[in-house]
Order: sequence, then C-alpha cells, then structure tokens
Amino acid sequence: MISTEQLYETLQKRFGFSQFRPGQLEALQALMAGQNTLAVLPTGAGKTLIYELYGAVTQQLVLIVSPLISLMQDQVTTLNVKGEKRATALTSMMSYDERTWVLRHLSAYRFVFVSPEMLSQDQVLNAFQLAQVGLLVVDEAHCISTWGPDFRPEYLLLGQIRHQLNDPLTLMATATATKHVRGDIKEKLQLPHATEIVLPVDRQNIFLDVERFEAQVDKDERLVELIATLKKPGVIYFSSKKKANEMAELLGTKTTCRVAAYHADLDPETRFKVQQQFMQDRLDVICATSAFGMGIDKNNVRFVIHYHVPSDIESYWQEIGRAGRDGQQSVAILLYQSGDEQIAQFLSEATVPQANEISYYFQQNEPQVAGDEKANLIWFYKQHHYREEQVQTSFEKRREQRIIALRKMMGYVRTPECKRQYIQTYFDQTQDEAVSTHCCSSDEPDFQLAELGLLAPADDGDLQERRQATQINWQSILAQLFNAQSEQSDVI
Amino acid sequence: MDAKQLITFLSPKAPRRLRVIENILVGKRTVSTLYWGMRYHQLPWLGYEKKLSRQAMDQAVHELKTQGLVNVAETNAQLTVEGAKAQQQVIQNSYQPENLNIRLVIDIDTFWVRLLLATQVVSEQAYQNGQYYPLQAPWAVKQWIKQWFRHFHDADLKTTFYDFWQSFFTQLPDQQAMFMSQLLVGHERPGETLGQVAQGLSISETEARVMATDLTCQLAKTISQTQTACLNTLLAGLKRPLVSTSAQLTLNSFMAGESLETISHNRSLKLSTVREHLLEAAILLPKEQFAFQRILTPELVGQMSRRLDDTPIDDWQFKQVEDLPVEFWQFRLLEILRSKQTDDQHGTTL
Repeated sequence: MISTEQLYETLQKRFGFSQFRPGQLEALQALMAGQNTLAVLPTGAGKTLIYELYGAVTQQLVLIVSPLISLMQDQVTTLNVKGEKRATALTSMMSYDERTWVLRHLSAYRFVFVSPEMLSQDQVLNAFQLAQVGLLVVDEAHCISTWGPDFRPEYLLLGQIRHQLNDPLTLMATATATKHVRGDIKEKLQLPHATEIVLPVDRQNIFLDVERFEAQVDKDERLVELIATLKKPGVIYFSSKKKANEMAELLGTKTTCRVAAYHADLDPETRFKVQQQFMQDRLDVICATSAFGMGIDKNNVRFVIHYHVPSDIESYWQEIGRAGRDGQQSVAILLYQSGDEQIAQFLSEATVPQANEISYYFQQNEPQVAGDEKANLIWFYKQHHYREEQVQTSFEKRREQRIIALRKMMGYVRTPECKRQYIQTYFDQTQDEAVSTHCCSSDEPDFQLAELGLLAPADDGDLQERRQATQINWQSILAQLFNAQSEQSDVI
Repeated sequence: MDAKQLITFLSPKAPRRLRVIENILVGKRTVSTLYWGMRYHQLPWLGYEKKLSRQAMDQAVHELKTQGLVNVAETNAQLTVEGAKAQQQVIQNSYQPENLNIRLVIDIDTFWVRLLLATQVVSEQAYQNGQYYPLQAPWAVKQWIKQWFRHFHDADLKTTFYDFWQSFFTQLPDQQAMFMSQLLVGHERPGETLGQVAQGLSISETEARVMATDLTCQLAKTISQTQTACLNTLLAGLKRPLVSTSAQLTLNSFMAGESLETISHNRSLKLSTVREHLLEAAILLPKEQFAFQRILTPELVGQMSRRLDDTPIDDWQFKQVEDLPVEFWQFRLLEILRSKQTDDQHGTTL
C-alpha cells in the first residue's frame, strides 16, 4: 500500500508542487485503498493530476476513455510537454496499421487515451484484456448521462466493457454532475458503491450576468461594445460555426482586438495556431463553438460570453468554468434574445430520432451511407439486440429529458432571484457561507464592469502597438526562429 | 472556390463545361474529365479542392452571371466581353500559380506538414528547448519526423534550415517571402493562420490558399534539387504516380509491344478499360512517352486530318470521320496528340 507521504513525494518530485488542490488527495487515497471513485471537481481543479500521479506511483497502465479526439490529442501533448513520453491516443485518425502497431506495443505506454467507440472494437478490447489495465479512467464522465442514447451510445457499453477488462480499478472524473447524473454514471458503469468525492461546483470569482435583447442588432451591438471594453483575454461561445466565423470577422473590423474563430471545421494546422496564439496571449478573443475548451488550460481568461443559449446547465457551467482559473475576478455573460431557446431546442433535439424514423430504420439492414447518423444509431441498438419498443420508449424519455434540461437552462436566464443560488440548487449543493462580494446580475442589476475591475485599461494603445509589432520582415522572423543574428531585424 | 477563381478557368472564345471544371477540382480521374481538363489547361488543378461542393460552385457561377460576366447555357459557361476584361484584371492583379502541376507527382499536403513540423522542431532545438507543443499533425507524420530528427539530430540542422529558408526567401518577391515566413511555426512563434496572413495582405483566403499551395510546390521542387540529406529526405516516400497504378501497368504492357487484346486477356480487363487506361496515359504523360503511332497509323491520321484540319480542335465532331475505319477512342487520341503538338503546355514532369 502506498502511503500519503509517498504521494506527496511524487507530487513534489514529478510535478513540482508541495500541496494538493482540494479533492486530489482524497481521490488518490480512495484509489490507493482500491476503491472505485467518482470525482466531481470543478473545471481547473486538476483532475488529470489524479491519474497522472496514480500512474507514476504505481507504474501501471492507465487507460483513459475520453470523448473527443482533439481533447485526447491535447492531453497526450500536455503529457509529452511535461516530459511523459509514454502517452498515446488511439484514434480513428490513425490508419489500421498504426493502430495495430500501438496495440502490439501497449507495454511501452503508461497512458493510453481512447474513445468509447474505439474501445468497444474487439481488436482493441482484446489487446487491453491482455495488457492488464491498472486504472481505468472515464474522463468527462457526465457524458455517460448527458450524451447517449441518442448520441454516442457506445458510452452505454462502458459498464460491460469494464467487466471484459477484468473489472479494473476505476476513476470517473467530471466537473459537473447533479445528484441524478452521479447516480446515473455509477449505474451505467455498474459501480453502485463507488466512493464519491464531490467538491462545490461554485466559482465565486466569476460574476454571473444575463442580458436580454429584443432584436439581434441590439445584441450584436452590445457584443461589440463588450468586446471593445472588457479586459482580455476572453472567449465567446456560439451554437454555429457560421456565426462564430461571421462574428470573428465583425469584431476584428469593429474593435482593435485580435480575434479568431475556433471550431471543428478548422484544419489541424489552423487549430494549432489559433490555440497557441491564444495560449501565448497573441489573441485577445476567441469566437468558439463547444469544440473549444475541453483541454484548454489557460488561467487568465477574464470573460466567457454566450451568444446563444446552451441546451443545458451542465454545458453552460462547464463552458463558463474556463474563466478565472487564476482565481481573479472574471465574468460570465449570457446574451439572450427572445426566441433563442428555439435554436437551442432544435439543436438539442436534432439528434434524437422521431418515432417514425425509429420504425423505418428498424426495418432496414446495415446502413449503406457512412454519414447517416440516425441510421447508424438505430443500427447500433439492433446489433445489441434491443427491441423496437424499448428503443421507442428510451428515445421518448430522452426527448422529455432534453426538454426539461433546456427548461432548467431557461430558468437560469429568467430567474429574478440569485443566479448563483439557482445553479447551486440545480447541482444539489448548498450555498457556501462565504458569499461572493459580487455575485450576479439578479442581485446587482446595476453592476458596473468597472467595479469588478474588468474594464480594459483606458489607454489600450498597446493593442495597436502589438498589432504592428507583428508586421516585421521575413529576415527577422527567420532570425527569431533559428536564434540567429539578423542583418535587418528592426521593426518596420 | 470563389467567383474570382472561377473566372480564371473560363474563356471568352468558347463555352466551357462547368462540370468538367468542378470535377477537375474535386479530383475525378475519368477520361472525359481529364481530356477536357487538358483542353482547358486545368490539369495542374486536379484534386485541388476535394471538398468543393456543388453549392459553392453554383454560387460562384451565379455571382458571375449577375455581374454580366458570363453567359450560361445549360451547364456551359462562356465569358462575355466584360467577363474577358474582368478576367484580365484578375490575372494581372492576383497571384497566378506556376508550379501546381507538381501536386500531381508529389503529396504536397504531407510534404508541407513535414516541413512545417521539422522547422518547428529545429527552431526549438536552436533554443535548446525540449518542452513545447508540437504542431498538430497526423500520427504517421509525427512518427516520421521523430525518426528524422533522431537521425539528423547532430547535423547542425539550425544552420542548414536557416540557410535554406534564407536562400529560398531571397529569390522570392518580398511580399511572397513575407507571406510564407509568417506561416512558419517555431520557438515562441505560433505562426499565423492562412486567414490572418491573407488579411494582412488584403487578399482573399482563396487567393492566399493558391499562393501557399504554389509556393509549397516551389519548395518541393527546390528541395528535390538540393544535395543536403536532411532536407531532401523530407520528400522521401511522397512521390505519387502521375498515371494511376492500374493504367500504368496497362501502359507498360502496351509500350512493350503487346496488343490491346492480349493486355485485356492477361489483365482480365474489358477492352474498353484498356483503352481508357491508354487514353489516361496519353493525356497525362509527355507525348514522347506514349506510342501514338501504334494506334494512329500515318494513313489513318492522314485520312482524319483531311476532314478535320480546318476546324479548331474543340469543335471537332466524331461524325466528321465516323464513316472512316476509325473508332471514337482513336478519334479522341488524335485530339490528344494534336493538342500536344500545337501546345507544349501539356504533360507534367518534375
């Protein structure tokens, strides 16, 4: 049995920290005692450290089930940058040969990231059965409950897969989970007795603001005004890639800020550049879709603005959690225009097949068209021997759930009461005794960004300067790249 | 694809088939597409925009039409007088690629990712920094660069890369050198996106993409000619066949003197497929590499020429010669031969 002293020692030696953040040590101690653990720690609390340290101390293979390829790649890169070379992600971006190579050399790795779809393939599962998984991590575990059955139903197989892997010790990690969702995660993974470590979800340094508009022009105008005046950097979330692109362009012309769009359509080179520019403070604002964020570890984000209403509180809380990780005052602003909930409702229900679609696809054989998601979804259930009535009932229930989730989200938008309290009640948590000085726009309808210290410095001329500073010549770019003396390195 | 790019693919002299232009960009290698692509001098663009949608294409056509720059009849478009002027303007004022045909024989996309990642790795090495975020690249490319770096680790990569980029940029117009240098990634330089560089130059992203692709082709050409191992290794394994593999096998047998019937029998291919293979090869290869005279006897050429020579090639009709002992594919082969004889811009070699 590994002692607490050993944990501290590794923390210091490998990670250079002398203290654990709240929840980390408790989770590690539970795991060391052989208890399956559900850790609900707020965004930025350092969930990854738990399994990194576990792998480092026990020298066992850690298998991490993760929802997004881009997230997995980010996590592998982060581990690499920290000096851990034995990390890889098995993704659909790899060719069959590459994947086979990695599977044959599993013993060379300490951390392997995989999607549930990949893990449910026989070849992959067999390899992990032989490799002896020391710790199974289900990252972003709320996906088990908030996604599937309409989206990525393979998440539902994880309980069964866990048995097939000989019931390895399991860590379920998430930033947001209501009591119901926690129960759901444990039930789906067939771990009803897992130890729960739940930290308050509240982030007191984030001021919660909702602003309402009747017309889109007013909303756009306000957005421009906010971006021009708010302290940077910040993130604006949109429900569509098209809108994210449009607004990035608009804000780039109407303000002096350096703005870029970020979404799933970007090619990997552009995605890397935008992400790194943002990390290195060379961009002030990112216009993003939900593809941006999971895995982005930037401490000084001062604001998160939502241009559209998210479809549930979990997503909203997760996204605004990217603000103020450094503990400094930050703000979350939701710009709501009457009728926005219809977009959210459409998006939220679009993936759930209708009754007649279910019947239709149930009569069909294996889907012929690769991209037909609904056909693939129903095919999944057929293959796993579900009956049509079961699927009908389950999707009917799903649709109701989605409607309720959106209704709760709209409750947040509309409540004249304290927004923070609304969130805490939603997550079944009680108000902390230490209440934020500045809480939300319900409590302080006339709040001023200046009072929060969130206005950009009046003389933001340095933005212009920084912009010009990038206008250098190719000679100096080369000199900088290769650490050489340039003959002409002065700024034009 | 945008309207400005489409206009450069059209002609004021004769209507052009919009579906051919689209199929070339998407990369469909049917004989008919290749033939007309050759006639339109558009072959270097084969597969340039694999994800081009019909919607984007229609949008560009619609834009030119509403501006009165093209006349469209069914799916053929011809530039109006105004259109021809606009085309001249576009050609004079926007970047015109010269090296795109290299795309057909080298996997340019992979080459660019390798070069960009290699440059980043060398840049970080120049600062003795081992902890950084490497460019997002396909797994295979990352593995490849890891091995490359292990192999050339001690080869003073810093100086080689600095000198290489320096000399490459020196021979470019300053604006192009600036453009490309801004795309590079390295130590404390995340690099600029294509969109950002385009904005800086006040050009469209479509034009910036053409420029980046063309310059990458030029880079590949330069690197293929250097003797420096750490550089020209970057092209290893990226050559691709100009003619599809199956067509190449047919061509080899044909050039070795086998009859079409024998090839058809030995390779279990329909005779029509064998003919298509030969047409593909004839279109794509320089004319010296294809034995035209084996199919087009001097006598046959003479007979056809008497009927056709007064007509511009694009107006040739098979019915002008169909009473002769000639089949359509032979007629097409003569069209290919004449195109190559009267115009040396066809054929792609590196």
